[in-house]
Amino acid sequence: MLAILLTFALSATVSVALSIWATSRSQHRALVIEVAARQRTLAERYVNDVLLARAGARADPAKTAATLAESARALLDGGTAPAVDGDDDAAEIPASASGEVRAQLRQDLRLVRDLTATGAALLAQRPVATLELRAHERITTADPVERLRILAALTANVSLNASRTIATRADHDIGALITAQVVLGAAGLLTSLLLAWALIAATRRQTAHFRSLVTSSTDLVLVFGAGGCRYVSDSVIEMVGRPCADLLGLGFFALVHVDDRAAVEAVSRNGEVRELLFRMSNRFEEWRHLEARVTDLRQDRHVRGIVFNARDVTERVRLEEQLTRQAFHDGLTALPNRALFRDRLDQALSRARRSNEALAVLLIDLDGFKQVNDSLGHDAGDQLLQEVAVRFGAVLRPSDTLARFGGDEFALLLEGANKSRAVGVARRLLDCLQAPVALTGRELVLSASIGIVLQVGGDTESEELVRHADVAMYAAKEAGRGRSEVFRYDMTRELGEQLGLEHELRLGLQRGEFSVHYQPEIVLETGAVVRVEALLRWVSPTRGSVGPAQFIPTAERNGLIHQLGAFILAEACRQTVDWRSRGLLPDSFVTWVNLSGRQLSTGGVPDLVRGALQAAGLPPRYLGLEVTETAIVVDGPAGDRARAELQELHEEGVRIAIDDFGTGFSSLGQLRRFPVDVIKVDRSFIQGVEHDAKDAAITANLVSLAHALGLVAVAEGIESDGQLASLRELGCDLAQGYLFARPGPAEEVGRALLASRRAAGSTEHLRASA
Amino acid sequence: MAAASDRRPLRFVSVRERDFSIHTARRIVSGDVRLSVANEGPDAHELIVVRSIVRRLPLRRDGMTVDEEALKPEILGTLEPGEPRTRRTLELHLAPGRYELLCNMSGHYLGGMHRELVVR
Repeated sequence: MLAILLTFALSATVSVALSIWATSRSQHRALVIEVAARQRTLAERYVNDVLLARAGARADPAKTAATLAESARALLDGGTAPAVDGDDDAAEIPASASGEVRAQLRQDLRLVRDLTATGAALLAQRPVATLELRAHERITTADPVERLRILAALTANVSLNASRTIATRADHDIGALITAQVVLGAAGLLTSLLLAWALIAATRRQTAHFRSLVTSSTDLVLVFGAGGCRYVSDSVIEMVGRPCADLLGLGFFALVHVDDRAAVEAVSRNGEVRELLFRMSNRFEEWRHLEARVTDLRQDRHVRGIVFNARDVTERVRLEEQLTRQAFHDGLTALPNRALFRDRLDQALSRARRSNEALAVLLIDLDGFKQVNDSLGHDAGDQLLQEVAVRFGAVLRPSDTLARFGGDEFALLLEGANKSRAVGVARRLLDCLQAPVALTGRELVLSASIGIVLQVGGDTESEELVRHADVAMYAAKEAGRGRSEVFRYDMTRELGEQLGLEHELRLGLQRGEFSVHYQPEIVLETGAVVRVEALLRWVSPTRGSVGPAQFIPTAERNGLIHQLGAFILAEACRQTVDWRSRGLLPDSFVTWVNLSGRQLSTGGVPDLVRGALQAAGLPPRYLGLEVTETAIVVDGPAGDRARAELQELHEEGVRIAIDDFGTGFSSLGQLRRFPVDVIKVDRSFIQGVEHDAKDAAITANLVSLAHALGLVAVAEGIESDGQLASLRELGCDLAQGYLFARPGPAEEVGRALLASRRAAGSTEHLRASA
Repeated sequence: MAAASDRRPLRFVSVRERDFSIHTARRIVSGDVRLSVANEGPDAHELIVVRSIVRRLPLRRDGMTVDEEALKPEILGTLEPGEPRTRRTLELHLAPGRYELLCNMSGHYLGGMHRELVVR
């Protein structure tokens, strides 16, 4: 279009310029023609003036001659043609450019000179025949007047012909100008037509190109007008699998998801420019997510509508949903994860603050899950967690948020719950675990420890609430597991103490604050020392001397028991070898080391024991391991493995004792099959043996049982002579207690061993040693 | 214009006109001729071929031009005034005799533009 306008403009400009130039030139030529034609009149006037002057009449032939000459010069070289009295004004004329015209004007000038010279000679009565004629005239007459008239005729003739030539040239020029104008106009018109044709062709090609792009594009193109959908691209028809007519008008909106329909209708009406995400049913009646860019082209005369350029982003949306789900859900149980729980708790807290309603957070930790994982494997552990998640979900309301924080830790958000409801829900959760869970052919009974925290209004942060629930859960575990505890602020202090103790335990191990004390055990009949029990002792720089009862439970919980167990085992073996090398010990002397239930359940005890024996160079028969009754009666693979490991060590010569015997529930059958050498009657029975008939009877039975099984019976915690006497009467073999010796360092015990050895004098009393 | 009366070949005769003279061959052979007339200017000139019957051709009353009416029977051919630097042709049948070639523009004949042509 621009090219067409430029062509028209150029054509018009050239045409106008040509016209102006030609008009100006025509004006000049008209002056020249007028002056040239005037020469004829002047020549004739000059003849008359000469004849009048010769006759004595008033005439001024000289002036006429001068006018003739000046006009001839002006015609030839340009300049001012003088005015002629009673006729024309002076005229400014340009020099003639044409060679032909200039030749005629030069001839005119020569003839004028010949004419005026002849006239002057005639007036001066000089002979004219002798005058030189410059214009090549070959006049033969001798009559001066006739000669003058002939020259005037020749002058008039040539000037007239010059003006005709100029006029003819002007006519030719005008013709050429007209031709040029016609050609120019025709060329401009033709060029414009060609450009217009090219423009139309290009537009058609472009339109076809865009139409092809729109129709073949996988993008969905829709145009909306006042009456609804006005245009749909082929890709839309292909996607929905319906004829175009079904989609036009309001038909399109029927295929849009009902939740998105209002937004799509609004945007298609008001043309608000935005990105729009909506769902639409496809030919298989699946919901597809479409992302549309909306463009308001109602003011565009080519469109006059609101255009949706949409594309199917279903896969992307699904991936985003999946990623979001992965980011906020636990992959194993499909429950919300910690992040989502935290988000919902934040929202719940906001609502609670506004409405002043209560909410509760429960933190649930499965008891003994680690043992299940260790003994049955992680797959079984995962199955167990999935089963627990299902059971928990079955006793909760849909509005409650159950999440898995990781490991065996679950969290529960109860909105609008008071203390009684929270405790009730905790009870239901614990109850639902009562039914055995079948795993790898076994049936497990689970329990859990639940911490409950309640919040009514206030500005408590979610993080603090979860921390409080954690403290309460910890308290539930401390209180015996399989129960729930509601958070109290003093729990924080207790927990702080626990955490402090754990920290100091770790530091103590690093700083070498632990040592091993030994408590002798004597033969009741002779008083000879025949064995010692190695006891761990911790002297903390801040807590002073800390007894095992204070820190062993903590060490078992946080796993430090393994390092401590390895330490005491290695130290006891080394010390025994030292005593033995110094000849302080009889051959049957055994050093006993306690093995914790955690060590047994974890496994790997034989390797640990063998390592310590080899490192110290101690034969296995000089080492005894004390295990609690509860540790060896565990059901399942972990218990089986523990018993197998002890059996393995026993077969290698290591002695085995059951500690705190009588407090557990081991059956006689188990006791008979278990590789036991010694049973140690729990101190709780010994303390009452002197005055309590029941304790005395139990102790008597336990001693009898030991003897019946061929085992050695050891009484723990003897503190009085009365207890000693009673035990002697009951036939107990060995005794241990403050009455004989407190636990002491190796040097002190070494001295006692030396004294005992001297007093005994022989080893015959060591019968009771296992 | 005179038409050719016999079948002899056409002869070319060059004629040059200029201010104020006519140049051509003085004698030519009779028959059909084609006069090739070149006007060398600077003024426009015509050419009239007239059978010469008198020594001086009669003039019109203006005293400046030959009286063509009076000579009409004797005029064999005429070329109207031609622009300078143009060439024209005039075909004639010239019988033996004397002819006058002249330009009858005002004053040109008296100014010297005439030439006698003898045809044998």
